[in-house]
Amino acid sequence: MKRTIILIAFSFLFFASNAQKYMTRNGYIGFYSHTAGEDIKGDNNQVASILDTSTGEFVFQVLIKSFHFEKALMEEHFNENYMESEKFPKSTFKGKIMNLASIDFSKSGNYDVTVEGDLNIHNVTNKVTVKGNIEVISGGINANSKFNIVPEDYKINIPGVVRDNIAKNLEVTVTMKYLPVENK
Amino acid sequence: MKPSVKISLFVVFFLALSGILIALYLFNMQHKDLQKVKPDFIISAVDLQKAFEENETSAASTYVNKVLEVTGTIESVKTGENNVLSIVLKTGSDLSTVICTFPPETDPAKFTSGKQITVRGECSGFLMDVLLNNCVTL
Repeated sequence: MKRTIILIAFSFLFFASNAQKYMTRNGYIGFYSHTAGEDIKGDNNQVASILDTSTGEFVFQVLIKSFHFEKALMEEHFNENYMESEKFPKSTFKGKIMNLASIDFSKSGNYDVTVEGDLNIHNVTNKVTVKGNIEVISGGINANSKFNIVPEDYKINIPGVVRDNIAKNLEVTVTMKYLPVENK
Repeated sequence: MKPSVKISLFVVFFLALSGILIALYLFNMQHKDLQKVKPDFIISAVDLQKAFEENETSAASTYVNKVLEVTGTIESVKTGENNVLSIVLKTGSDLSTVICTFPPETDPAKFTSGKQITVRGECSGFLMDVLLNNCVTL
């Protein structure tokens, strides 16, 4: 009996000391549109994200208004005409690492991952599968990904006059530096 | 050429020219310089976070897209991707803060944890923290 209690106590200690939740609140998500007429780049350095290494679940949240553009007018059009950020202020992704078993979070290393989940932009949710990379470093985890999205898939209407100045496929870059969540 | 035709040609030319100039002006318009803009609200980091935590919808309708002048104590200084600097301000909550993000060229050396600062920034809203963008120090 005593031994069982001690074992249980130890297993709790073991789990408590092994951080399983990782978080960042200043992650980066950017997108890039290249056409012959114009290059447009939007940067967001205020991405909040949690990674649970025990289940492989990822959650990302961004505010549309936190995207920053070189030109003030681009930022205004992005918020008011395309993303309607007053009505839909947030964009989210909830997903899961499909090849979790191949990652050893206990030692430094670099892994290619496939993440599947629901991407919500402009109040439209689509299932997406993206490829990325996870780097386990001492004291944290870095995650990177590059993938393409099509604005029309998210019911983002771009008027014909400017349609040629915005790429059909926007390249999205995700760069996260996670730190373990301390149990307070 | 009749004088009336001359005048209308001149008017058309003038309208076209001003149209082009306005378009160019709008296209190249710079972001607001927050050093020079009068803030819409002056508030402490503690009160700002509290407003969002208590009622996110009403706080968002008050503060989002507005220029805020926020005073608080620096909890930490973080450098993100592309050397973008974010200053985290302490609030009444352990889990939720006010994050002020500065333009990339900002020097992190002038910020130290524990120091009190006043920041002017545009409020984007609330995720886990209240987020301010395009910040400047005063």
